[in-house]
Amino acid sequence: MKSPKTLLHCLTFTLLLAATIASADASADVVIVVSVKNPISSITAEQASKIFLGKVTTFPNGDNAIPVDQAENAIKDEFYAKVAHKNPAQLTAYWAKIIFTGDGQPPQRLENNIAVKKAIANNPKTIGYIDSNAVDSSVKIVLTP
Amino acid sequence: MSFSIDKLTMTKHCLVVLSLLATSISIAKADEIATTSVVAANTVDVIGETSEEQPSIFKLSGFGTFVLSHSSQGLGDYVLDSTVPKGTGRSQNWAMSNDSRLGLQVSANFSPKISAVLQVISEFQADGTYRPAVEWGNIKYAFTPDSYIRVGRISLPTFLYSDTRKVGYSYPWIRPPAELYRQLTLTSSDGIDAGYRFEMGEVGNTIKLLYGSNIIDRPTSISTSRDLWGIFDKLEYDSTTFSLGYQKRIASSQSLINGIQGAWIPNYDLSAGVSYDPGNWFAVAEWIQRQSTTKTGAMYVSTGVRLDTLTPYITYSQNSRSSFIPGFPAPTVASIQNSKRSQSTVSLGLRWDFTRNMDIELQYDRVKLGDNSNGYLTNVPAGVTLYGSTFHVISVGVNFVF
Repeated sequence: MKSPKTLLHCLTFTLLLAATIASADASADVVIVVSVKNPISSITAEQASKIFLGKVTTFPNGDNAIPVDQAENAIKDEFYAKVAHKNPAQLTAYWAKIIFTGDGQPPQRLENNIAVKKAIANNPKTIGYIDSNAVDSSVKIVLTP
Repeated sequence: MSFSIDKLTMTKHCLVVLSLLATSISIAKADEIATTSVVAANTVDVIGETSEEQPSIFKLSGFGTFVLSHSSQGLGDYVLDSTVPKGTGRSQNWAMSNDSRLGLQVSANFSPKISAVLQVISEFQADGTYRPAVEWGNIKYAFTPDSYIRVGRISLPTFLYSDTRKVGYSYPWIRPPAELYRQLTLTSSDGIDAGYRFEMGEVGNTIKLLYGSNIIDRPTSISTSRDLWGIFDKLEYDSTTFSLGYQKRIASSQSLINGIQGAWIPNYDLSAGVSYDPGNWFAVAEWIQRQSTTKTGAMYVSTGVRLDTLTPYITYSQNSRSSFIPGFPAPTVASIQNSKRSQSTVSLGLRWDFTRNMDIELQYDRVKLGDNSNGYLTNVPAGVTLYGSTFHVISVGVNFVF
């Protein structure tokens, strides 16, 4: 009677340990940013998730929102893990459903933090996520998830 | 003698799978290069206001699944679709025909309002080949980002996984539960549809209306559906999704043996599904009812846990015997036998997302046939009854998208 419980505890411990190691490994700190010209000052993780997953197309104030993604990197992984609770495979599966039924396309993918900041500077409707170290006066943080 | 043939066939199959796998990997590799150029093109697009370069209009994407299955029941073929002539069991020891397919899609964004999509799929067909066919191809006009109409060959979301059942990567299993999804072969409609999405507080609602027709080839007949109407609704709240679907059509089959066109029968499909997916685990259940000259029900429940890259899951699915609807001519001996078909399956599986955009899956199915039928086994020799028996299916496969 005792041994399955012990086994379960061992398993839980191993999983927690693995999770701790995995989270300690992700040193990147993602922030969600918009243009300094954008009137919104904050956004919830739920709202950000809906914008990036293509479920809503506007900011909470009703203005059009254009999300921009990053290429596959640690910042992107952290953003979707924290905001949408999706790992890279789940995100790919989510978009596979939408792309291959002809229902939509994922946000445009930009190469890195610099490209995201440039896009935001060029169009105040743009919303992106970048490494907190890359924040400068051209963008405004609306959420630190 | 038969052993050596089996072995030879298996070696041949393994070789085919390996070479397909190699091709898929090289496609995936090539995609990395393609993605880089797409990213570059998109960069131009967003920053386009200050740049002279043209953004890319066309985008190529694709998906593939290669699955080898083996059934322990040697007296009948385990197939998932009434359109295919044979499968694993009696005809083949190991078969890749049940779940393997390759899809290519070209999307074109002509403007924010006008776009088009063309998808071609190669999979096992009624004629026993992998001849590619146009799965869907349509032009979309978006009035707003949340409302559109489409004209052409359009995906048919009759049941929860109907329009994504061919994209193996998009769901955790080797295949959507057979007892429910083999009830309806239609995956597309030639016609028109309209979609509208709106938010009610925290609840997102997506509604689709559809009208069209469909023709499918079967091994010994052609099935035509006309006056196909559908209304499909999806409600999303937090991690929970509710879906409801209702579809009506008038269908008839023409025999390829004697050319006789059957009666035009109204068909109704009703579906209700619910899924909960907070991220680290999932649960999904669906119930459907089909009606033509008979009424049939089917359901499944499935749950799984996501442990980093591993997703173990368990599924139970079943369908009920059909009951005859009054008001039609007296059923034939064959249709009485067909109405008795029922079976249930317990599936245990494991998905391993070993790299980005690619996974490996292993699934075990324990299939129990109903007491009065051979279930959905095909090519069972005349006079053989496997009523109430149990058999086992093992499947191993790889999925990718790019």
